[in-house]
This record gives sequence, C-alpha cells and structure tokens, in this order.
Amino acid sequence: MLIALPGIQARLGDTLAEAWSNLRSQGRRSALALLGIMIGTASIIAMLNGGHMAQRESLKLFAKLGVDMLQIGSAPTGDRPALLSQAAIDALARTDPDVIEAVPLANGRAAARTGGRTADIAILAAPPALATLANLRLAAGRHPAAVEECALSGVLGDAAARALSGPAAAVGPGSAVLIGGYGYTIVGVLAPVVPETLDPVDYNMAVLIPLHCARRIIPDGGPTGLLVRLRPGADTQAASERITARLATPDAKLTVLDARSILRTMQEQKAVHSRMLIWIGAVSLLVGGIGVMNVMLMSVMERQREIGLRAATGATPTDIRILFLLEAVLLTIAGGAIGSALGAAIAWVIAHSSGWDFALAPWTLALGPAAAGGMGLVFGLYPAITASRLNPIEALRAD
Amino acid sequence: MLRLESVSKYYAAPDRAIAVLDEVTLSIASGEFCALVGPSGSGKSTLLNLIGLLDRPSSGTLWIDGEAVAGCSAHESARLRNRLIGFVFQSFHLLPRLTAWQNVALPLQYRGVPRDAQRAAAEAMLARVGLADRTGHLPGQLSGGQSQRVAIARALVGAPRLLLADEPTGSLDSSTAQDVMALLAALNAELGVTVVMVTHDRELAASCPRQIALRDGRVLGSGSGTC
Repeated sequence: MLIALPGIQARLGDTLAEAWSNLRSQGRRSALALLGIMIGTASIIAMLNGGHMAQRESLKLFAKLGVDMLQIGSAPTGDRPALLSQAAIDALARTDPDVIEAVPLANGRAAARTGGRTADIAILAAPPALATLANLRLAAGRHPAAVEECALSGVLGDAAARALSGPAAAVGPGSAVLIGGYGYTIVGVLAPVVPETLDPVDYNMAVLIPLHCARRIIPDGGPTGLLVRLRPGADTQAASERITARLATPDAKLTVLDARSILRTMQEQKAVHSRMLIWIGAVSLLVGGIGVMNVMLMSVMERQREIGLRAATGATPTDIRILFLLEAVLLTIAGGAIGSALGAAIAWVIAHSSGWDFALAPWTLALGPAAAGGMGLVFGLYPAITASRLNPIEALRAD
Repeated sequence: MLRLESVSKYYAAPDRAIAVLDEVTLSIASGEFCALVGPSGSGKSTLLNLIGLLDRPSSGTLWIDGEAVAGCSAHESARLRNRLIGFVFQSFHLLPRLTAWQNVALPLQYRGVPRDAQRAAAEAMLARVGLADRTGHLPGQLSGGQSQRVAIARALVGAPRLLLADEPTGSLDSSTAQDVMALLAALNAELGVTVVMVTHDRELAASCPRQIALRDGRVLGSGSGTC
C-alpha cells in the first residue's frame, strides 16, 4: 500500500510542493532526464495527429460521393464491345434492397477545337441524375435538358473551358465547340471539381453529354460503366458481388471500385507506418524512463542525510516513497507536456508540408502527459523504494 | 518514562558476533535530564539509536511511555518517533532548501497537520528558542548556534516526551555551546520533556542532573550526579 490515510491531504499537498522545489533545485540534470521523455512523447503525439489528419484527408477523397459508393466498369473480353444492359442497370434500384441509385455511364476521348485552340478532353455520357449524384455544380449556364432530344449540347469542365478559351473569346454557354468532328453547343460550364477516387473521369477536363445521345460520338454508344449509391452502412462487398452477377455478360469483364475497400487499404498502409512510429516513440519513452530512473537514483544517493533526517522526524517508509515517486511523476509529466506541445508543432509541420488541413485530436494532448506520468510512476518506483529502505542511521551519517 | 531491560546489540563479524551493547538495564524517569557519557566505542550512540527507535536491539526489551517498542515495524517506529521523540544532532541536519520555519514544521507535516497550523506552531517554537526574527531564513543564512536552535525547535515542535541529543554542542564554540545547553535545560524544566544527551565533554556532562556512564557496552553507573 503506497498511501497512508491519516492527514493524507495535508501531507500530499506538502509533499507535492516539496517535490516540485526539489526538482527545481536539480535544474539542468532534471532537464536532461526530460529530453528522452520529451522526444518520446513528441514523436507519439506527432504520429497520432499525423494519422488523425491523414485519415481526415483520405475521407476527403470520398467527400463528394461518400463511402457507400461503387464504381463499376466493364472491359471487353473479345471482339465485341463490352456493353452493359441499360435495362438491367435501371432495374437495380428497384430490385436490390441495398441499391439506392444506379447511374449508367459511357465514356470516350476526343479532340475539342474552337477558335483555333485544341484540347484533348474526356467525354462522359450520363443521364441528368449524375449531376445530383456526384454533386456537380455549374459555374455558368445549365445542364442539357432531356427535351433537347439529342441536340448536340454539352457541359464543359472548368479546366477544359479554360484550355479552349482564347484571350479574346472565352468559351462559355452558347459557344460552339467542335468535339470529335461534331459541332456541339456548350450550354453550361462546371465549377471546379476536387478530384476523387471514384470519379469515372476528371470532370475538369471533360465534356458531359446526355447518355441517350452518345452513340454519335462514342463508338458503341451504350453504357460501359455505372456509379451505384448504396444504402448507408450496406455491406459493399456483398452488394458488389450481387450487382456484378446481375450485370454479367459474356462480352464484358466487370471491375468494381469500392470506396470502403479503398479506404480500408489506405488505412491499413497507414497503420503499418503508425505502428513503426509508435515503436520509435515507445523506445524513446523507455530510454527517457531509464534516464529518469538514473536521475532519481542519483538524487536518492545525494540526499541520504535528508532521507535519514526525515525518517528521524517521523516520515514512514511510505512517506519517503511517495516523496520520490511524486518527484519522478512531476518530472515526467512536465516532460510529457513539453513533448506534447512539440509533437503538436511537428504535426503542424507535417500538415503544412503535405498540404493538409491542420487538425489536432484533443485526446492526444492529454495522452502525452498521462503516458509520460505513467512512465514516471513505473521508473520512479525503484528509486523510491530504494530511498524508503535506507537505514536511517547510516543515511544520517552519509556524506 | 523510559525503561531498558537486558538490551543487547550485536554486530556480526566474520567469525563471531561483537556485542556493542551488553545486557543494558536502565530506567529514566519522566522529566529527567541525563548525560550519556563514555569513551569512543563504548556504545553511547548505539544506545541512543535504540532509544530513538532508529535501530532495533538484538535482544532485550525497551519501553517508552509504557509501550514496549522493541519489536515495532519500520512504519510503527516512524509513527512513534513522530509522536514521542525529538532528535538533535551534532551537525544540525537542517534541510538546506527549506526555510527555518519549514524545517521546524517537518514533524508536523508527517503528522498531517494543516499547513497554516504547521506554520503557526513552528513560528511559536522558533520564538521560544529566540529566533522569532529568523523564521524565513534559509539554513545557509544562519550561524551555527542559530542552526542548532532551529534544530531544537524542530525536535520540540511536536511536543514529544523524549528529546535525544547526540553531541548537540559538538560543532559549536564554547560560549555558543553554553547558550545551547542553557536552552536545553530551560526547555527541560519548562516543558517537562525528558532529555537524553550524548556528550564527550566532561564539563557539560557534569552540569547535567544525571550521568549514565558506558564502557565496553555496559552501564558503569547511573547514579544521579550533582543537581
């Protein structure tokens, strides 16, 4: 039992004040002992917050589409085009309980030309529902209306519009652009889109056209892919297996990108990193803890007369143990607090150099001093017990 | 107040045990002022350590204030020391980082007395030993005589029954030594605290009401000297 109860509050207060003043009198030596604790805590805090920010950043890659999303593409297995059945895709939302929405897509590439400028752009043919599903906002104009019934109209991505704009003539709603040899009218321009993992094309360098009018410009015309929004929390693995089974044709090999699996893979890679850094931090803490033990043992040896005198005036072995243990814990908590601040600063540098938003996980800041204090408790125990077991007579006689 | 019966202390040597104290039987009444005298190696300090519960006898029994204390654990001994015994040492043993009153308050701290009460009691005791104007000084700022007065205040602040002094004037010049002796005598008379003092100084010993002479671990005579 470490703590004797009578008058414990008054005694603990006194002991705390004394422990603090003893540490201050040790000055430089205390500071050196702190170094290991500081480095250990700093690396653990930096790593935890680095991981925290990395996770936030990886979630951002799915911010637009969400994580309950599948992107399915098809590749031809033989000479015949890898077309998917539009009817089968349309039926998914009605028949599969996990599917909320399924949007068919077809894509191709073509050269776009206007006013003497040329750009190689992607063509994405999709029904109007895509704009809502992928949260595509317009900077100008409108989306092609269904009623235009295969008029040659499209919406340009932001970068594509800028690439085609000359100094005199900006490309915008109403501009005529030659795409793949066909004269298209641009009815709208998209606001810049932050690219995400599940985007079927880079929207910024693409033209969006209605799917039912795609045959003219995309060789096979029909859908060769789809985006599927699943019920939140749905088992994406099972859903993707069901859907690929429903859509399977002998001509196409289906590939599925599953937001959750991608996220999981990213996080697993990061976990490997984190584990390594945690080990580095733990080793530094361990070295720091041994340093603290060393400093405390030296302190016990130097203060033998004090220990003997305290024993003579009525300090029990428990009192002496608590005094030295408190000193060790205070020392390491101080190191942990400084280390936490240092770790937060390192996390800021990591965020800054990676172009991430800086964000601290608040619990990590409390964790630093707590872990360091725990170290102090563990590594302070042996010196404290040594001090409490000194023979008072010999201690009083020590030089 | 204090009774020892057949108390022996042996130290183990390679081939045999050496008796530092050999069957000491002794009784000291409450309020007595005793000098413990004898040549070096006669066992004075060992006896003082046994009485002060800093050490345990190899055999025999020891009563303080009616309590048999020879077999107490380290924890119980510390509690008894805190309650019953005050120590004064030749080299003062003040803690250098604590002020005079904080040094004096140490025994009260280990009793769990609230800090304000500690300070009040320590300052009162410092005033009693003539150091009312030195309560906030650090030991380094005090002379030898003043330091020993602080140590005496510390020994007595908890109102112990027994004051044990090990060569309390050994580090002081003769006039300061006389002042300190006079203070001890006054406190003995005033507070009724029993004093046991180890000393080499025949003159000092002679000034004590009772002398206990030790030689080779045995009590030679403990007749009450001249009062």
